[in-house]
Amino acid sequence: MNTQTNLWPKIRPALFTLTVILFLIVILLPIYYIFLTAFAPSGKLFTVPLTYVPRSLATARFQDIFGALPIARYMLNSTLLATFSTILALTVSLLAAYAIARLNFPGANMVMIGLLASSMLPGTATVIPLFQMFQTLKLMDTLHGLLILYGSALLPITTWVLVSFLRQVPVEIEDAAKVDGASFFQLLWRIVLPVIRPGVATMFLINFIIGWNEFFTPLIFARGAGVKVITMALSEAQVIGARSEFDVSWGNMSAVAILTTIPVFIITLIFQRQIVEGITSGVFK
Amino acid sequence: MFSQHNLSTRRIVLAWLLVTPVVLWRLLTSVYPFLRTFYISFFDNSPVRRTFDFVGLDNYMALTRDANVDATLTFTLFFTVTSVALQVVLGLAIAELLNQRFKMRNFTRAVNLLPWAMAPIVIATAARWIFHQDYGLINDIIWRLSGERPLWLVNFTTARFAVTITDVWKNTAFLAVIFLSGLQGIPLELYEAAKIDGADGARSYWYITLPLLMPLIISMIIFTAIFRVLTFEIVYALTNGGPGTATSLLSYLVYLEGFRVLNFGYASAIAMLLFFIVLIVGVLGYGFLRRAWERL
Repeated sequence: MNTQTNLWPKIRPALFTLTVILFLIVILLPIYYIFLTAFAPSGKLFTVPLTYVPRSLATARFQDIFGALPIARYMLNSTLLATFSTILALTVSLLAAYAIARLNFPGANMVMIGLLASSMLPGTATVIPLFQMFQTLKLMDTLHGLLILYGSALLPITTWVLVSFLRQVPVEIEDAAKVDGASFFQLLWRIVLPVIRPGVATMFLINFIIGWNEFFTPLIFARGAGVKVITMALSEAQVIGARSEFDVSWGNMSAVAILTTIPVFIITLIFQRQIVEGITSGVFK
Repeated sequence: MFSQHNLSTRRIVLAWLLVTPVVLWRLLTSVYPFLRTFYISFFDNSPVRRTFDFVGLDNYMALTRDANVDATLTFTLFFTVTSVALQVVLGLAIAELLNQRFKMRNFTRAVNLLPWAMAPIVIATAARWIFHQDYGLINDIIWRLSGERPLWLVNFTTARFAVTITDVWKNTAFLAVIFLSGLQGIPLELYEAAKIDGADGARSYWYITLPLLMPLIISMIIFTAIFRVLTFEIVYALTNGGPGTATSLLSYLVYLEGFRVLNFGYASAIAMLLFFIVLIVGVLGYGFLRRAWERL
């Protein structure tokens, strides 16, 4: 009993450090393994046991996938869709959030709860009628059609988070501007937007990541090469030069996985604190 | 000049003008399609056979006889319970870890976010390689430790665990971030008081931390459970619902029936079943949540 209590202060820090290292390994090792696979020379991909230290970095695979698939076009589409869906969603959400947080109108609560409830409607429970609507309205295989769906998915959470940010900001500044005779849009643009800029920036980052990572929507609604996005290149890269159904190129898949992941990793590592704030403000406030 | 009444009418009109874009956008792309799915579920609707015939409850009757639906519901239950339990327990543990003071804390917090930021489809596709029998990362480690190479994606049980592990790896970070924020909201004085009363770390966690976090934990269980039921990408890319139908989930079944078999009527009935399950989870969870709040 006595020895146990004496040893504990020494064991505890060691045990803690070990846990942190284990945690880092569990998260980082699989990512490192995909990186390794993407850059392994084709002869060195299948080795038993695995070698965890790269002997050489082969970029041939990246040349292969850029040669066989319109990867640049896919990445451009992903960027356009993620950026513009984010801007559109933020703009209309800001208008709605201002009305809900400031204008105290009958039905404000109903709108908030309706938005939340509609976000619980699973995408798979709406996809078939949307597919039929898109065919009738000739929106299939168009970027603006995809933009409608990408943006729609962002609205409920964005509105909720912006409302919570607005409610933390004092109204007095706005009242002063109103007395000065500012028009409504001047008020919104010059007074409200600068004050809640952290909230807008946070939602911009999170929504961009969500849009960039989208897969189910383009799988159904984007079938032509001109509108496809980078997440769809994963399965396409696997079968470049394949001789049979079972001939899967893990190297090509990993290369696309790296290309898809690098932008979101950069954003996440730079803006870690803002992203965490955005995630938590959606839940707590 | 303006009467009070006039001003408030103007304000209300302005407010509704401002919320209209969001409300209309959601009505057209979410609420209306959902109601339409409900409507189509009573029809034999196939773009291939060019049918749109009212069949009453036939699609729903077919659901009860469909062995795929049975298998899917079984796995949905297994996957939801196992994955949510693991995510909540690990999420609490990671939150506690990230709440300590140590040298590389900021780096570790950033690393924690990486799986959250990655696309689900990337993780699901890469997981097929990670779980590869001969050249996968996981079997390399297991083989070094035990000399065995389990056939992850070929056997029923191991395939189910592979899907669950992949899901836990991707989504625990989110819960950890939420729980960490919850931990930071607990006043330190409570722990100091407990220390004076002689409560050690484990005890103060059990008697202070957990009860105070309980409403948050329950609401995150509901939230996480709903999103487990809706999971699509992991099953689509990692296992194709296989072996057989061992790892099939409802969203995947809707996708197969709707966009491979092109049987819109029946797919809509499956989608309604999916919605019904989400509704039950939500309503049950809300009940638990209210009781947890009352106890606090």
